[in-house]
Amino acid sequence: MAGIRCQSVRKVFGTFEALKSISLEVRDQEFTVLLGPSGCGKTTLLRIIAGLETETAGDVYIGETRVNGLPARRREIAMVFQNYAVFPHMTVFENIAFGLRMKKMADEEVRPRVGRAAEMMHIEQLLERYSGQLSGGQRQRVAVSRALAVEPQVLLMDEPLSNLDALLRLEMRAELKGLLQESRTTTIYVTHDQVEAMSLADRIAVMWGGEIVQYDVPIKVYQEPETTFVGGFIGSPPMNFLDLRVERRNGEAVGRLGDAHIAIPETTGDRLRLGVRPEDLEVLSAAGSQGGFASEVLVVEPLGPHLQLTARVDGQMLRVTAPPDLDVRPGSTVTLRPNPVRLRWFDAESGRALH
Amino acid sequence: MRTRWLWVALALLISFWVLFPIYIIALSAFSDAAEISAWPKSFLPEHFSLETISFFFGVEGVWAATLNSVVVAVMTMVFSIGLGAPAGYALARFGFLGKDAYRLLILLTRAFPIAILALPLTIRFIQLGIYDTPFAVALVHTALALPFAILVSYSLFLGIPRELEEAAWTLGCTRLQAFRKVVMPLALPGMAATAIFAFVISWNEVFAAAVLTLQNRTLTAYLLTRLVEAPLYFQFTGGFFLIVPSLIFIFAVRRYLFSMWGIASR
Repeated sequence: MAGIRCQSVRKVFGTFEALKSISLEVRDQEFTVLLGPSGCGKTTLLRIIAGLETETAGDVYIGETRVNGLPARRREIAMVFQNYAVFPHMTVFENIAFGLRMKKMADEEVRPRVGRAAEMMHIEQLLERYSGQLSGGQRQRVAVSRALAVEPQVLLMDEPLSNLDALLRLEMRAELKGLLQESRTTTIYVTHDQVEAMSLADRIAVMWGGEIVQYDVPIKVYQEPETTFVGGFIGSPPMNFLDLRVERRNGEAVGRLGDAHIAIPETTGDRLRLGVRPEDLEVLSAAGSQGGFASEVLVVEPLGPHLQLTARVDGQMLRVTAPPDLDVRPGSTVTLRPNPVRLRWFDAESGRALH
Repeated sequence: MRTRWLWVALALLISFWVLFPIYIIALSAFSDAAEISAWPKSFLPEHFSLETISFFFGVEGVWAATLNSVVVAVMTMVFSIGLGAPAGYALARFGFLGKDAYRLLILLTRAFPIAILALPLTIRFIQLGIYDTPFAVALVHTALALPFAILVSYSLFLGIPRELEEAAWTLGCTRLQAFRKVVMPLALPGMAATAIFAFVISWNEVFAAAVLTLQNRTLTAYLLTRLVEAPLYFQFTGGFFLIVPSLIFIFAVRRYLFSMWGIASR
């Protein structure tokens, strides 16, 4: 097994700059998720690492080897594709054995290895079938088995669960996680699904516009987003952003939101953006409580485990996750108190977090 | 309901239009000489006879011409697949400058009248010393069959997901190995159909074959020169013998001919 290192990797398609100088390091045995909306360059980066796409500039290392210019077959990788790419003219057995046969492995060695790989994905009973006789979920199991059978240095997965229906996706996600925790294969996993990223990753690299905007462990990415984009992309509902006017009183800066004043970090600008997750807002019925701000409740959605409120303060909308038994009606005014340790401050212009 | 019946009637009419002459030809081919010129004509096979057929194959030159036709058709098949499949693959997998223009150009070659080409070709073939050889005829037939071969294999390769090839690459295949182990097996049925279609085009072609050969006539060219002087029943049998292989082949590959125009027949 081996780590992966990308250094200033750039990719240009015609006049479109798909990747702008990406640097990414994946440690040996680490599970990294590339997360971002479609068109952010995550699949392009994965394909460059796989050797299916050629970088315009920069270096890619797998282990200690610089793999620029090496064809995919020399990179000791295995890849799982979004549409499974199970060979339709071969049985499941031959599909899983394909990579081993290409290594000219003897038949008596191929058999047990295919058996082991099939067992890991629970498809031992399907070995004689053809791809056309399998469901989508089973095909994806074959694709994963085929990738694992060759015991690659690096496993690359390109949205492997996105073609499955919701329930199956949940099941496969948990199974993949268990499986890869066991095999400890260095993995890069591309997805646009933030829940998948949160649940699977050791570290998440959030990509946007051909750049990695944040690369950190899931909980950090969730709680301490580097930019407003990250906060807005991860979490459902996403992070709330509220623009505050900066006022100076006795030389000390405070933020003003409607009628409320909120303590803010040191700043030179006259506007600040506050980021706060819906679950980090406490709903208080008493008006004018310390550290809170009054806001008007517009919509109340009872979702079962919690209530989701849509509220307005100072002309800005925000969402609040409230306890399910809270008595609150649309049109009423409540006081919202953000959890002070969970506040995230951003520069109103650039959207970057202030430290 | 009404429009449905209209369509059925129309289909029947067109089928009749195509099939009736073929039926008459077949009928005549299996009747004896006297029956053919008899009047009023019987449209039922009353006097089945192999006399005419056996006479046809007894005529000097028929077997040689048939052999020539087969040789030319096989060569055409090999050339069209050999050139057409790589071209189709390139069109399906790679983006290159002037790709759309190239595709149009392929079709346009069919619009070029071969009659205009015949004389310059004859002269050039005489200069090259390949005039009156099956090879020369096969070259011209390849030119005729190639557009179909390219466009059909283009749509064939397009129908094979690129990811299958990429998966093969990541599992240790070179480009060539991936093509051989993954793409070829999947494209094979369609390729066979394309090859058969090229065969039929060559088998049926008469003009170029007649102009470019003197001694080594293909069957079509041979019959063309003989028709004027031959008796009626001979013409019928010759016609029947030309139609049958084409009919069988076209029937066998009809599914793939649709795919050429991008009509899914799944």
